[in-house]
Amino acid sequence: MATATVAHLKASSPVMTDEEFAKFCEFFYRKTGIQFQDGKKYYVERRIADRIEKTGSDSFRDYFTLVRFEANGEELQFLVNSMTVNETYFFREDYQFDALVGGILPEIARTKRRGDPIRIWSIPCSSGEEPYSIAISILERWDQADSWNIEICASDIDSKILHEARKGLFSERSVSRVSAQLRSKYFVPRIGGDFQICDALRESIDFSLVNVVDPLHTHRFRNIDVIFCRNLLIYFDDVGRRETVEMFFDALGPGGYICLGHSESMSRMSSIFVPRKFKESIVYQKPLSAE
Amino acid sequence: MALVKGSNLATLPVPQPARDLATLLADLAAAEPSVRRAAARDLALHPEAAMAACDRLVMEASPSVRAVLFTTLIHLQSPAVAVRLAALLRSDDAPLRNAAIEALQEMPDAFAAHLQELLADDDSDVRIFAVNILGALRHTQAPVWLAGVVRSDPHVNVCAAAVDGLAEVGGLEALADLEDLRRRFDGNAFMEFAIDAAMRRIRGE
Repeated sequence: MATATVAHLKASSPVMTDEEFAKFCEFFYRKTGIQFQDGKKYYVERRIADRIEKTGSDSFRDYFTLVRFEANGEELQFLVNSMTVNETYFFREDYQFDALVGGILPEIARTKRRGDPIRIWSIPCSSGEEPYSIAISILERWDQADSWNIEICASDIDSKILHEARKGLFSERSVSRVSAQLRSKYFVPRIGGDFQICDALRESIDFSLVNVVDPLHTHRFRNIDVIFCRNLLIYFDDVGRRETVEMFFDALGPGGYICLGHSESMSRMSSIFVPRKFKESIVYQKPLSAE
Repeated sequence: MALVKGSNLATLPVPQPARDLATLLADLAAAEPSVRRAAARDLALHPEAAMAACDRLVMEASPSVRAVLFTTLIHLQSPAVAVRLAALLRSDDAPLRNAAIEALQEMPDAFAAHLQELLADDDSDVRIFAVNILGALRHTQAPVWLAGVVRSDPHVNVCAAAVDGLAEVGGLEALADLEDLRRRFDGNAFMEFAIDAAMRRIRGE
């Protein structure tokens, strides 16, 4: 019955009115920091129609009530999972990994106390390509790697994609930029042409569900040395960006670094970080005397 | 050594429940900037603390605490907050002034309530800053207000700033005002150049 109603809605009329779309966007923004412009209505509507059908809701209004008032937040998590974009691959924007091993980590090693861990946070980590690329880059290309305890944390708001990241199973397309030598060293071929990251590497990454706009999720991230936050802030509005980079400021230790996506610039969000150039990369540093 | 799974992060204490206003205001004056930063952030839940946050802003020396105070004031925006931030447009402290401009751009309705006063200010620098804010203000009336500046402000630099703003947000209806401005500052090469550039932009050439 409900399915028929939704099918009818999909065929002949919008899933929600413009007013409902605006209301939904305001709610979703408040919960996640992610903002949808009017041009994204079709994208949002398609995903909501799917969730209306899967939850057996009669209408957008019914479904929206469920999302807002469900005590355990499960449907909100499903919705978040369906709205997020998780397209990535190994060694994407690899000039930043060059900067990491060739400039950032050596500089951190010069100022850090021996025995203290070096902490790297990949957020959003999507299906894991980024944190695994960071790990491989460090193991393969930083000659001091064996002298330090290096912790890699990897977080995403999408619980389903985190599950994929923990599994570490990747398609040929995803590993297309990984050399044959690295594939044989860090991956195990699986049936169907997929590649699975070796257990040692999978077990070394600390994956966690994190919503960057929720202080209950982010408070435990402190004394981080490098944050990779690439292509997330483009989905936020100006205030959301400000709040997120201010959260990163608290999460970083003195002198810590943020690596943003190639189309993102800190200068348009905040002036509390210092731009630094390492090889081809511009990254942003929390001042050593940060306060 | 090399890669190890993080162990220390999970053991950090969970944050305290929401603190009361008196505690936050006391923390806002703490010696440690990280304590002031946390207090400034949590004040966003207390609209009644907006003026206290404004008071702190003018005496706060730490850039990172200032940044959070501005973000909090964006959340607590009101015409009264806009008035206090607009006062910072006169500050000699350029980072503070620029941060005030950016914050005012995030509060269109609150800023609009105070706009005419700023556009009539005796200090042309204040009028220029107000026009700069207008150029990036998400308000449907912004092009109308910029056109008003172009028609009436006597100062060439204020008008030039408004021309820049119209280049960004103006529509075809601004073209006549720009032509009138060209006549008003006849012979001013820079104005000539700025108006031509704006008109080309507006026409989509």
